[in-house]
Amino acid sequence: MGKPDRFRCIGNTMDITLRQLDENRWLIPKRGPMRVPGLIFSNQDLIKAVQQDQSLVQVANVATLPGIIGHSLAMPDIHWGYGFPIGGVAAFDLDEGIVSPGGVGYDINCGCRLMTTHLQVRDIQPLIKKLISALFKDIPTGVGSRGAIRLSKSDEKKVAVQGAAWAVKNGLGDPQDLERTEDHGTMEGADPSVLSERALKRGEEQLGTLGSGNHFLEIQTVERIYDPIKANAYNLFEGQITVFIHTGSRGFGHQICDDFLKEMSKSMANGKERFELPDRQLACARIKSDLGRRYFTAMACAANYAWCNRQVLMHRTEETLLKALALTPEELRFELLYDVCHNIAKKEVHKVGGKSVMLCVHRKGATRSLPAGHSLLPSAYRGAGQPVLIPGDMGTHSYVLSGAEGALEQSFGSTCHGAGRVLSRSKAVKMAKGRAIYRELEDQGIFAQSRGKRTLKEEMPEAYKDISQVVKVVHQAGLARKVARLRPLGVIKG
Amino acid sequence: MHSKTPTFSFLDHTADLGILVRGRNLEKLFENAAQAMMKIMVKGKASQTPKRRVLEVYGQDLPDLMVRWLGEILYIFEGEEEIVTHTSIGAISPSRLEAELKTVSFDPARHEVLCEIKAVTYHQIEVTQKGDHWESRIVFDV
Repeated sequence: MGKPDRFRCIGNTMDITLRQLDENRWLIPKRGPMRVPGLIFSNQDLIKAVQQDQSLVQVANVATLPGIIGHSLAMPDIHWGYGFPIGGVAAFDLDEGIVSPGGVGYDINCGCRLMTTHLQVRDIQPLIKKLISALFKDIPTGVGSRGAIRLSKSDEKKVAVQGAAWAVKNGLGDPQDLERTEDHGTMEGADPSVLSERALKRGEEQLGTLGSGNHFLEIQTVERIYDPIKANAYNLFEGQITVFIHTGSRGFGHQICDDFLKEMSKSMANGKERFELPDRQLACARIKSDLGRRYFTAMACAANYAWCNRQVLMHRTEETLLKALALTPEELRFELLYDVCHNIAKKEVHKVGGKSVMLCVHRKGATRSLPAGHSLLPSAYRGAGQPVLIPGDMGTHSYVLSGAEGALEQSFGSTCHGAGRVLSRSKAVKMAKGRAIYRELEDQGIFAQSRGKRTLKEEMPEAYKDISQVVKVVHQAGLARKVARLRPLGVIKG
Repeated sequence: MHSKTPTFSFLDHTADLGILVRGRNLEKLFENAAQAMMKIMVKGKASQTPKRRVLEVYGQDLPDLMVRWLGEILYIFEGEEEIVTHTSIGAISPSRLEAELKTVSFDPARHEVLCEIKAVTYHQIEVTQKGDHWESRIVFDV
């Protein structure tokens, strides 16, 4: 047991007491307006960076929200967000609890999709520049990027209701892809009639686009297998070429979050709710209220748009690879391994005090992690557990993990979602001044192309935590188990 | 406040982008905030004649008004692809502002997008009077 460590955050009067429980768990005891304690999955190395910013205060702030169950949780990739910390998980009682757009984030259903191929690294390495250039030309990236698909209002509403299934119905994928997508790529209860004109306007041209910031499309190779049996179930082998996509619901989701945050902020200011918020960005509504229900249906529309977006991007990527490599689909064997979301609120059944209860689980920068045998898993993965996809930053590895029983016991079936930033974007740009980041990456064997000049600097490897440490914590804490490590060969960014 | 003082500076925020904006009065503060946001997002000049429009924004208080004001300007860029090049606040109270905007159409050949701002957040939003000037702290989701 480590000694208690206290610190005061600038700009916030709340003192945080942090108590180390064991190698990978840290407790913020319940005090003041907190309704439950905070629990952070982290280790000695990672917790130091967490103490530099205000993310622990944010864990404590989330613990003050009505109807919160168990702990206000944070994964080892926790960093300072707005409202909720990024890497935060919180579950709420359906009767007393709240739903918070800030607890999901602006990029609703931001997530990851991993594809396997039949290609080997030795065949692709010499062609990597050609492939990345072809993908950069064909896949719309960057701020406000518009897609090859312009949706009519009626089709846009179908996308919002059907999700990835809309793309498959329109020939942009295979029915098997839906099996291998969280919730089959469709969140139920989506109703586009609650959406603003602005949200629909922003969504009409952005399907099939990658966007900017930390979103990317990467060609990788499987560098190391940790668990051969599970890797086999996931069709992964050493030296194999894989493709990783990280993006979300684009301007459509941003607008929906923004619309509902403003409405909830107004509703709270008008005295509709009788509780204090430590941060305005935590504006929320009771799950069972009319406003809470409307947010859920709107959020489902954005979740579906994001799944459809990643499905379309996968299809476009396959077309580009087939053309650039002059291969047949049988030779390429471009198959979806899995698609997971990491910004979402979902109604899920979890054990509370020995009883199965339906809860509303917010995951803001956290991934669902279901163990082997879980009824929500497709039959192909019932034996191995849910594939959990953890993207690294441009210069480091990504990981494939498998869902574990410990996640259901400790974190409402959740685990980490990435490396987590340690440097602000402006600090990263300052540190990168005078350096050619793309050349540094090339020296490491990674070919990068980006639309924005600042993006590569903002997203440079030093801006992120050590992903191997993040993965080590979730592996040791039993939230997910290591299956394979993927090394980047080439990346396109916004 | 001296007229040469920079109108905004960056705050250090790990995940997102924060700015501290200054203005000699409330009108200037809101105008400077809009200018700062556009400067972060896009650069370049267009030769076209600017279009004019009038914007009215309502809020519950000054911080809310700031979030909604910048949100409108962000939407004009993201949703309508119009760059707001100039703003002039005609009237302002904690619950309402009226402004005249000048905009030019976004042209990828002339403009370079520097940063995607997803939204203007309420996180730690502040609008305060500091002696002879006003300041606002704003965090963007990027």
